[in-house]
Amino acid sequence: MPLENVPVFEVTDLRKSFRDLEVLKGISTTVQNRETVSVIGPSGGGKSTFLRCLNLLEEATSGSIRFEGKEVTGPLSVKEKALYRQRIGMVFQNYNVFPHLTVLDNITLAPTLEKKIPKEQAVQRAYELLERIGLDDKAKEYPTRLSGGQKQRLAIIRALAMDPDVLLYDEPTSALDPEMVKEVLTLIQELTEQGMTTIIVTHEMQFARAISDRVLFIDNGILVEEGVPEQIFGDPVQERTKEFLAKML
Amino acid sequence: MLNAILRIWNKYGFVYLNGLLGTLRLSAVTVFFATILGTVLAVFKLSKSRTANVLVDAYVEVIRGTPVLLQIYFFWLLLPKAIGFELSDTQSIIIAMVVNASAYVCEIIRAEIQAVDIGQREAAFSLGLTPVHTFFRITLPQAVKNILPALGNEFINMIKQTSLASVFFVQELTTAYRTVQSTTFLSIPSLMISGMIYLVVTFTLTRFLGLFERRLRSNAP
Repeated sequence: MPLENVPVFEVTDLRKSFRDLEVLKGISTTVQNRETVSVIGPSGGGKSTFLRCLNLLEEATSGSIRFEGKEVTGPLSVKEKALYRQRIGMVFQNYNVFPHLTVLDNITLAPTLEKKIPKEQAVQRAYELLERIGLDDKAKEYPTRLSGGQKQRLAIIRALAMDPDVLLYDEPTSALDPEMVKEVLTLIQELTEQGMTTIIVTHEMQFARAISDRVLFIDNGILVEEGVPEQIFGDPVQERTKEFLAKML
Repeated sequence: MLNAILRIWNKYGFVYLNGLLGTLRLSAVTVFFATILGTVLAVFKLSKSRTANVLVDAYVEVIRGTPVLLQIYFFWLLLPKAIGFELSDTQSIIIAMVVNASAYVCEIIRAEIQAVDIGQREAAFSLGLTPVHTFFRITLPQAVKNILPALGNEFINMIKQTSLASVFFVQELTTAYRTVQSTTFLSIPSLMISGMIYLVVTFTLTRFLGLFERRLRSNAP
């Protein structure tokens, strides 16, 4: 369980290079428990890399990430890494549901395999989650039968089934047809309102403004500006933030 | 022609049937061991060890870059010298064919495993699956669906390749042709019988594999 008074993430001078290309040039920020943080900025600016570093899909070149007070950027064993990631849910742009598993098995695989939750219990929980998104009648089907919006909502509840302390979303609606964006955003918003700590990389500016406690603007590997949505969207300080928002809104 | 074929078949049918038996035996042994060796090679190739990678690469390059007949000669000449004891022609040939086919099996398995979308692995990792669980529960099941049909084709190749054993007069279908031809001097009809038997074998196997493949696809889309 997350501790109320310890930040979920404390990121200090996070740097990441791919060969000669420095993608993150020293990012520092703190994410509090139950906070909703949106990350905005131009494509290729390092937003996704930042998110991927947080759950160790990318290994930071230098800097520190503390999760609930514990350093996670040091050398972790395979087991430690897996245990750490169990506490951090991640939702991808391309859904990445498992096509060879049924909708139900997509949800129960990780809890039964890694948390040793009894099968019946995991199935029951999966059905509760499926009911919540209105897909319980699709439990025995394969994800190929689902629409993009359904796949993404499945991916979200699949992450929830692990009872993570925080959810990371990497452009969760960018690959969706416009008419399916809303159902996904609605679910994300509901979860934030219930207190799920959330970091979301998104191009949906209206949405970011509506749900966020704080907005980070990342460009060219630098955290250019951060603040409450009213300030970032209403009265940005930095020139680059203004330029970017002028193009987006 | 048809007459000649029937006459030969009536008189020398048993030679062909013995040949068929030899071909099936050679094929089965080759397929079995080549699949095992090829899988082991693929595991090394997919491992993080630089040395293992380079070695498997070299192995695959050499095997795929030289003719199989040459490899058979090579093993036939080399093996009896390299190891202390006698090897029959059949054994040398089987070893050569296993080595040859394993390189192709290795490439099929490696390619199909690497063809599985990287996002699948990342999603599994992000759920907290260990690398071992990710491989066996996510990557491999998705790769297998493409590996099996490709392996099926490779098996058919292996069966046809066993005809090279006739170079050393090992009992199999092409050798059966040579035996009958040298007795009857009816080259084309005796060759056609061998050809038809090969065709029956590969056709049956292709059908069987096709059925199997459809089964795989319907199980999970």
